[in-house]
Amino acid sequence: MSFPNPTTSVKLVLLGEAAVGKSSLVLRFVSNEFQENKEPTIGAAFLTQKCTIGSKVIKYEIWDTAGQERFASLAPMYYRNAQAAIVVYDITKPASFIKARHWVKELHEQASKDITIALVGNKYDLVKNDSGEEDDSENSLRKVSIEEGQNLADEEGILFFETSAKDGFNVNEVFIGIGNHIPESNNNSNNPLGGNSNGNNEGRIDLTSNANNINRSGGGECAC
Amino acid sequence: MPPFSRVERRESMAERRPSMSYTPPVIPHLEGLEKPQQNHIELDQADVLILGTGLIESILAAALSWQGVQVLHLDNKSYYGDSASTLTIDQLKKWCIEVNQGKLPNFQDAQIYIPGGKSTNKFKSKDYGIDLTPKIMFCKSDLLSLLIKSRVYKYLEFQSLSNFHVFENDDFNKKISNSTSKEDIFSNNSLSLLTKRNLMKFLKFILTDNKNPEKKQLLFENSKQTIIDFLKGQFNLEDPQINELVYSIGLCIKPTTKTPEAIAKIKRFLVSFDVYGNFPVMISKYGGPGEISQGFCRSAAVAGTIYKLNTNLVDYDPHTKIAQFSDGSNIKINEKIIISPTQLPKFLQSTYNELVNDEISPLPTYNITRLITVVRRDCKEWMSDQESSAIVVFPPLSLPTQNNQSVQVIIQNGGTGICPSGQSIWFSHTSEPDLNRAKLDLESAFEKMEASLLRETESNLEKNLNDEDFKINSSANIYSTTPIMVNSFKLGEHLQNFVPKEKLEIVCKVGFVQKTLINPDLTNVFQASESNNVILKSPASSDIIFTNMLSSELSYDGIITETKLIYSKITGSDEDFFDVDFEDEDDEGNDDYTRSSTTTTAANTIANAHIDDANLVHTKSTTSIGDNSNDIAIDDDDDDDNHEPFGTDVDNMEL
Repeated sequence: MSFPNPTTSVKLVLLGEAAVGKSSLVLRFVSNEFQENKEPTIGAAFLTQKCTIGSKVIKYEIWDTAGQERFASLAPMYYRNAQAAIVVYDITKPASFIKARHWVKELHEQASKDITIALVGNKYDLVKNDSGEEDDSENSLRKVSIEEGQNLADEEGILFFETSAKDGFNVNEVFIGIGNHIPESNNNSNNPLGGNSNGNNEGRIDLTSNANNINRSGGGECAC
Repeated sequence: MPPFSRVERRESMAERRPSMSYTPPVIPHLEGLEKPQQNHIELDQADVLILGTGLIESILAAALSWQGVQVLHLDNKSYYGDSASTLTIDQLKKWCIEVNQGKLPNFQDAQIYIPGGKSTNKFKSKDYGIDLTPKIMFCKSDLLSLLIKSRVYKYLEFQSLSNFHVFENDDFNKKISNSTSKEDIFSNNSLSLLTKRNLMKFLKFILTDNKNPEKKQLLFENSKQTIIDFLKGQFNLEDPQINELVYSIGLCIKPTTKTPEAIAKIKRFLVSFDVYGNFPVMISKYGGPGEISQGFCRSAAVAGTIYKLNTNLVDYDPHTKIAQFSDGSNIKINEKIIISPTQLPKFLQSTYNELVNDEISPLPTYNITRLITVVRRDCKEWMSDQESSAIVVFPPLSLPTQNNQSVQVIIQNGGTGICPSGQSIWFSHTSEPDLNRAKLDLESAFEKMEASLLRETESNLEKNLNDEDFKINSSANIYSTTPIMVNSFKLGEHLQNFVPKEKLEIVCKVGFVQKTLINPDLTNVFQASESNNVILKSPASSDIIFTNMLSSELSYDGIITETKLIYSKITGSDEDFFDVDFEDEDDEGNDDYTRSSTTTTAANTIANAHIDDANLVHTKSTTSIGDNSNDIAIDDDDDDDNHEPFGTDVDNMEL
């Protein structure tokens, strides 16, 4: 298994309730942007971003749920070969935290066993002034304490962060943390469906190389 | 790696207090809500409602939603793919029961056989992805072009398939494999010079431009002729070559196949060769149509389609256009409702029956009988080194059952991700209309493959087999028995009475019959009309369009054509079918390493771009893409997008 390329591709899936900032978090990481009132979807396939951690380079292929999580209608394809997952909740919305717990459970059931999961409480920007002049907890927007998040993460044995996609606080740390945690393996798992795609490119066809040729001539129904 | 300073935030009053002390949340803290999904679809209206997440319906959903159509896409099952789904063994068990309870229209006679108990036949259901309608993809085909154009290929992995075996004279002595060029496809040393020359003559003919007057003339003159007579009469070919050309390369199923159809099918194979390497066909990893359906559904979701599984249409009022669903939601459907035959709501059953069986042009039904066997063998004997799948074809009359039609088998081992390594799945099917004959044909084909496999590995037999291999006493023949036994099949306890034979170890064996209104020769797809295809048959005034079950065709041919029929019926034309320019994801490309590898790929593309299929047979510059020389594979694709694949020729993907 000699990889001439030092880059490790990592499929990362996002989970969490609608409007907790899944896409914003990724957008912040990928392009260091934040869009207010962002449309609730991202690109056509998935976003990619390279991340250098020490000597290794990780290329994240980040899959958004594309809304298919809303009615528990995520396809097996979504979880397949995912090596990392970010479960996002909104620290100002307790319901989103409850749902986060569900998604962690779902990941344990659907995804491969060695998946690296990070629990992320987003929208830290909304509460970061709490300690300042406005020291009145009744007025704080925070509804999920940092301890609750940390406890859940500890129970499940997963990573935990609080972030702000809006101002970028702690966002890169999530991806670096995941990158540090991902086992440097390219072994083929025993379970082919939930297995690790890493380094398992044998026989895989690169469809991009001849795409032009294909598009040019079509086929199948030649009217001989 | 200090993720954040926890100390700093602990100083906050807000954080020092437990969250209970905040204004009470709407939902009790960490109580209930095990399932977070919404129940109602929060939507007032949708343009198009699609019922069923099968292959055609999924491509349709993506095509429509990328044109800005608001699609609501539902499935009454708990999984994607509808009748083209990829299922685990547990799902398949449940599926068989539902078929036999009559809950899955257009399927019947489902049987599942899992030998031994839990102690002798250990497997994890989740390790299997079994396609109900497995298919192979030609390297030059409209679906592959669409996968690339739509970028859905990015969700999938493809592997090459180059081994086609033909069963003949009780042996699998013909192999199309390890060919380095089209000429080599027939590099059988036993061929006489004369035969070789005749073959070359035919290959040249088939690859000649279709506009060539001589070719046109010859095909016109022989348009009613069967391919068998044509090859004998015009090219003096002999039976073994004819079998190979017609049934293996062409994947025709009957000796009565007409010349033009067969020629098109043989050409399909030949022009697909060398497009991505020395193989004509690919299979998608982890499952075929089921996997591709999921890919298009994801694409559709990205474009705004709303998905909900486990949901039925309960009622629809054509005047108010309000659709009622089993989850209690009511949604106005502005344009059309597309319904797959396995999702047909009760209240539409008679409408559907009348449409299909009207007096003027009742549509004939075609049977597809399938036998799927999971065996504890990787079957590498039949595959090339780098590959994990193969095709086996039993031409008409090649089996002891005197089969009228070909039995076609796709074999995939653990390398394709559909079963654990060391095992493989044999997907066989026939279009034989007589169901008893069909079942006997499939069982006979299974026995031949089994015998061949055992024979090929005979020398290793003693070494490889241990006591475990001999524990299974019940025969695996679910078809080679009296019809009574077949029909009285019961889950888990069937076929125990059969004569035990020393056999391949079987994990699971599934048989069923599928019905379709699509002719096996696909004529009512490629020449669809109001009198032969249910899609076109529904009146323009009706809001409802019924789709078809997938055909028996082994490849994906016809799928896009059918999808476009529905698309045109909804939008009036298929001109803008996937007319999308995907401009996103191009932000990257700042990495030197990636950039240099991109150049290589782009060069290959240019080199190959000028190959015209008419002269492919003469062209020889194999760039063996897809083998291990190209580890970078899809890693660099996003950078490629700047260069060419999707930009320039997107409109030429038409068949």
